[in-house]
Amino acid sequence: MIEFFNVTKRYPGGQVGLAEVTLRIPKGQMVFLTGASGAGKTTFLKLIYREEVPNTGNILVNGRNVSSLPQAKIPYLRRTIGVVFQNFRLIPRKTVFENVSYLPRVLGLDFKTQKKLSYETLRLVGLAHRMNAFPMQLSGGEQQRVAVARALINQPEILLADEPTGNLDPELSEEILRLFLQINLRGTTLIFATHDRTLIQRVGRRVLTLDRGQLVGDQELPGQLAPTAAGPRSAEPVDHEAAAREASGRSTPERGTPARGAPGRGVPGPGAQP
Amino acid sequence: MTFSQAIAYFTREACINLIRGWKVSLLAILTIAVSLFLAGIFLVVSANLRQVVERWQGESKIVVYLETGSEEPSRQRIAERLTEAEWVVSIEAVSPEVAGQRFRETFPGLADLLDGWGEEPLPASFEVSLDWERTENEALEDWLEELRTDPAVSMIDDDRDWLRQLQAVALVLRGLGMVLGAVLLATAVFMISSVIRLTAFLYRDEIAIMRLVGATEFLIRGPFYMEGLLQGFVGGGLAVTALLVAHSLVVQRSAESLLASVLATESPGFLQLLLLVGLGGLAGLIGAVTSLRKETLGQTPDAPEWSVVE
Repeated sequence: MIEFFNVTKRYPGGQVGLAEVTLRIPKGQMVFLTGASGAGKTTFLKLIYREEVPNTGNILVNGRNVSSLPQAKIPYLRRTIGVVFQNFRLIPRKTVFENVSYLPRVLGLDFKTQKKLSYETLRLVGLAHRMNAFPMQLSGGEQQRVAVARALINQPEILLADEPTGNLDPELSEEILRLFLQINLRGTTLIFATHDRTLIQRVGRRVLTLDRGQLVGDQELPGQLAPTAAGPRSAEPVDHEAAAREASGRSTPERGTPARGAPGRGVPGPGAQP
Repeated sequence: MTFSQAIAYFTREACINLIRGWKVSLLAILTIAVSLFLAGIFLVVSANLRQVVERWQGESKIVVYLETGSEEPSRQRIAERLTEAEWVVSIEAVSPEVAGQRFRETFPGLADLLDGWGEEPLPASFEVSLDWERTENEALEDWLEELRTDPAVSMIDDDRDWLRQLQAVALVLRGLGMVLGAVLLATAVFMISSVIRLTAFLYRDEIAIMRLVGATEFLIRGPFYMEGLLQGFVGGGLAVTALLVAHSLVVQRSAESLLASVLATESPGFLQLLLLVGLGGLAGLIGAVTSLRKETLGQTPDAPEWSVVE
């Protein structure tokens, strides 16, 4: 769950990023965040994953006040949040596998597990066959799917997407959108920032509208786009636990192993120490 | 990630960075190597010189020359004065004949100079060995001064004068080496700092992604610290190798040259060499630490004071 209490963010120079915003996004909800350029969409997202700090107000993410989070704890917050950007932010000199496996690598998982998790996550976005390709060898849509895979590898509780379809043509945008819908269906809270009203109207769901930092609209829209008609690229959901079990040599789940999507996944959880 | 896993990860990433930016890394490594090599040379030379001084000090003497034609009672009196002094270990009387013989043996080409004088022209003398632990005694200086005024004494040759000068040279060399080494090492630190800042800039996209996915500061900074450390150690290793090679070359020439034989008395000690490598590593680490400020790594801002609730 994400909660904003009277959150204001002003940048040096006086520019208002967000002004007195109060709202609540329940766990598992999909929310569109819309508004013109400079309305405060990116600021809103940055405040959630603690890239920025508010000037006033409090932000609770899963009950944790991220506004007062000390530096040392930020990484553990971020392991529970996936972020996708408009420009993909893939590392061109790294392969798809290397781009996707940053978090498992950072967590010190062995190479085999890294490979397994990356493969399973890439399978989810329909790119398991491009693991060894470099980003420049992929289309825009494929690059964005790699970025989504990178954000999903730890099965985050929250997925933030900042104009993820901004650089894609309408067909690819829909493909990515369907992917996000599938992810949301799996219980991930999803905040999708876009200024594309047509796209929002096709999908429906909750829409938050920002204007010069102020929350000017919060409405539910009916939509038509279904997550399941994604075509040949939609794939089976990934089982991270099975991947980790397989990598560690265990063939059956141990007693008390939590179900997929619950805490205690294949990749160590947010509390995992480096 | 366990500590050993982290070290392995840092080392792997640092090696990749070093190989990718090998040209600038090489420059930094060479700067460290040259500065440590020069500092090492000065330290080894000054240490050798100090050893030589100490050895010669043990062998050096004071020679009290008597007036030509001085009578036996005067010689006896001087010998007694010398023997009575507490800092005198032993004395040896050298007659004009013995002095002449020694001169002829030492300088055969100049032996003619002593011919035709009728009697031996060189004065009789006493060679006095001193207790070197008491040679800086002020009373000894007064005693020597008094001895110089004795009518039977023509002059006193004190080996300690030039030994003191040699000691001063060793001290200056040591100081010079330390200052030069420190200046060059500071340059190397600056150089490593620039190289690592440049590397961090080149990899800023990757650092941003690591930060985004939840890498800790330790994991982000670790590879850069390791890079500095490795550059320093490699530089130190090169300096030590060059020092050993230079020393062995000097040793090979020691038979031909007096200076070489003086400088090659002692080889650099294991601890000294280890210190040089360690200094290199320390310089590299300092360079890395000073280069990685928060802004360099795009660290997120701290929580505002108002928001921190204990």
